[in-house]
Amino acid sequence: MAKGNHSDYKKMIDRQYKDLMKHCQEHMEQVEKNLPESTDDLHEMLRARGISRREFVKWTSAITAALMLPPIFRPMVAKAAENFSRLPIVWLHFAECTGCSEAFLRSSYPNVDDILLETISLEYHETLMAASGYQAEQNLEKAIHDFAGKFICVIEGALPRGLDGKYLTLGPKGKTGIQVAKEVTSKAAAVICIGSCSAFGNIQAANPNPTDSVSISKALGISTVNIAGCPPNSVNFTGTLLHYLMFGGLPALDSLGRPVWAYGKRIHDYCERRPHYDASEFVEEWGDAAALKGWCLYKVGCKGPYTYANCGKVRFNDGISWPIMAGHGCIGCTEPGFWDTMAPLEKPLPDKSYGGGEKTVDKIGIALTGVAAAGIAAHAVASAIRHRKDDRINTEEEKHD
Amino acid sequence: MEKITSVREWSVAIRINHWAMALSIFILIVTGLYIASPFTLAKGETVSKFFMGNVRYAHILFGVILLFLFIWRVYLAFFSRFHADWKDFLAWTNIKNFIHQIKFYLLITKEGPEYKTLYGPLQSLAYIGLLFMVFVICVTGLILMGAGYHTGFTYVAATILRPVENLLGGLAMIRYIHHIFTWFFILFIVVHIYMAFWYDAVLKKGTVSSMISGNIFKRVKE
Repeated sequence: MAKGNHSDYKKMIDRQYKDLMKHCQEHMEQVEKNLPESTDDLHEMLRARGISRREFVKWTSAITAALMLPPIFRPMVAKAAENFSRLPIVWLHFAECTGCSEAFLRSSYPNVDDILLETISLEYHETLMAASGYQAEQNLEKAIHDFAGKFICVIEGALPRGLDGKYLTLGPKGKTGIQVAKEVTSKAAAVICIGSCSAFGNIQAANPNPTDSVSISKALGISTVNIAGCPPNSVNFTGTLLHYLMFGGLPALDSLGRPVWAYGKRIHDYCERRPHYDASEFVEEWGDAAALKGWCLYKVGCKGPYTYANCGKVRFNDGISWPIMAGHGCIGCTEPGFWDTMAPLEKPLPDKSYGGGEKTVDKIGIALTGVAAAGIAAHAVASAIRHRKDDRINTEEEKHD
Repeated sequence: MEKITSVREWSVAIRINHWAMALSIFILIVTGLYIASPFTLAKGETVSKFFMGNVRYAHILFGVILLFLFIWRVYLAFFSRFHADWKDFLAWTNIKNFIHQIKFYLLITKEGPEYKTLYGPLQSLAYIGLLFMVFVICVTGLILMGAGYHTGFTYVAATILRPVENLLGGLAMIRYIHHIFTWFFILFIVVHIYMAFWYDAVLKKGTVSSMISGNIFKRVKE
C-alpha cells in the first residue's frame, strides 16, 4: 500500500473515532440530564471496598479494550461507570435457576464489575427486593410506568409455552410468564437476555422439552441482546450496559443476538491449551499423566471448537480461572441448544450414540462398509457364474469367423 | 464382420478432474478421520511437535482444492467444449431403463439396457448423489474452517454461510453432519471401484482404463 493511502486511511479512522467521541460526549450529557440522580457514589463505594483509584483506572482500560475502543475512550468508560446507577433496570425471572444472578452477586473478592452491579438501580428484581405479593406487583407497574421507554429489561429464564404458558405463573394475580414478559418488554428501551435460558431456551428447551419452553425472542417475536452462557460472565453484561450508556445504543450483535465484542471468537482459538491440540497432545482419560501436564481436552469431550465466547480471555471469579483452565472441557454453554447438540459432554462429538446404546456413527459406518464389502464379494461370485458363458460365446463366434 | 474401435469418451479435463478429486477425497478421508479421533504423540517436547497442525493444514488445503474441483466439474457439466454432460445426469428419468438396469445388476438379465447417455440410469443418480455429497461436505467444511479465521476468503465464506450454521444448529451439528458425510464417501468409493471393475469384466469395454486413456472400446459391425 502506498504511503499516501496509509495516511488517508489513518485520517479516516481518526475522523470516525472523533465523531464517535463527540456522539458519546453528547449522549453522556443527555444521560446526566434525563436519567435520575445516582443513588450511590461509585468512588466512595470502591474506596469502602478497598479498591484504589489506580485499580479503577486499570479496570477502565481493560473494559475499553474489551469493547474494542481506542484508549481515548477511557475517561468515557469511567464516566459511564459513575453514571451506571442512573440506568433504571427491571430484572425479570422466568423458568430458570437464578444461577446467573448468583454468579453476578457472589464473588470471593468483589472487583469493579461486581460493585458496579451492586450500584445498579434495580427497580424490580424478584430475588433481591424486599417487597412481595401485591407490593411487588405495584413496584413493577410503577417502574414500567415511571420509566416507560427508558428502562432496560433484563430477563433471566426461558418462557414455557405449553398449557397456554401456565407451566409458569408469577405473582399474586397468577399471570403467565409470557403475559408478564409481553407487558414489560413492550415498554422497555432494550431487552437484554442474561444466560442461555432466556437467550436460547437452554435446558428447559432441551429434548424432549415437555413444557415447550423457548427463548424470549422466539416466544415474543422480538429481537433481544443475548448475553449467552450458563452462567455468563459478568463482564459481558456490564460491558454491554456501559456501551448502552456511552452511545445510547446496543453494541454490534452477531446473527444470534450476542454482542460481537464478547462472542465474536471461538473458545478453541484463544485457548491456552491450543498448542497441545496442534501438537497432538491429548488427555486420554481423566487424571492421566497428560491431564497433569495440562494437555488438550479434545478427546475427553471439550466443545471449545464449536463455541463462540470470551471465557478464556476474561475468565471468571476475578480472573482466577475458567473451565478449561480448571481441567474440564468446555461444554459449549453459549451456543443454542447445547444440551442436545453438544452431547455427550465428556466425549468427542462422533461418540453420540443412537437408541441409547453403543451405536455411534463410526460403528454404523464400519458395519455398513462391512455389509457393502460382503455384498460385493457375493455379487462378484454370482456375476462370475452368471456371465461365465459370455467368454465362450465370444470365442466360439471368433472361431466361426 | 465385427471390428473393435476405440472411441473417445472422457475429455482431458474430466479425467484430470476425476483423479484430482479422487486424490483429494482420499487424503481428506484419511486426515479427517485423524482429526475426528486423533492419537496422542506423547514423546518429545510440545514445541517441536505440530502433527495435528500439519494434518489440519493438509485437510484444509485439499478441502479448498476439492471445492474448486467441484466448481470446475459443475462448470464442465454445462460448458464443456468436448461434451457438456448435464443432460446425461437425467438418465434416471427413463423408468423402463431404470428397472432394466436394476435387473442387469441383480444378474436377472444378461444384457444391460441400451442408452445413448454417458451414464446409465442408476449411475446418473449415483453421480448426482456424489456431487450433492461434495457440495454438503464443502459447505460444512467452509463453515468449520471459517470459524477459526477472522479475515480473508474463508472468513467471508463463513460469514455468508452463517445463516446455514444457525439453521442447522451451530458448529457442533455442522461438524457432526461433516462426519456423517465422510462415511457416505467411504461407502461410495467401495461401491464405485467395484462397479467400475465389474463393468470392465462384464461388458469388456475397458471401463477402468477409459478414465486414464479417455477411450472406450466399441464393437462395430462392418
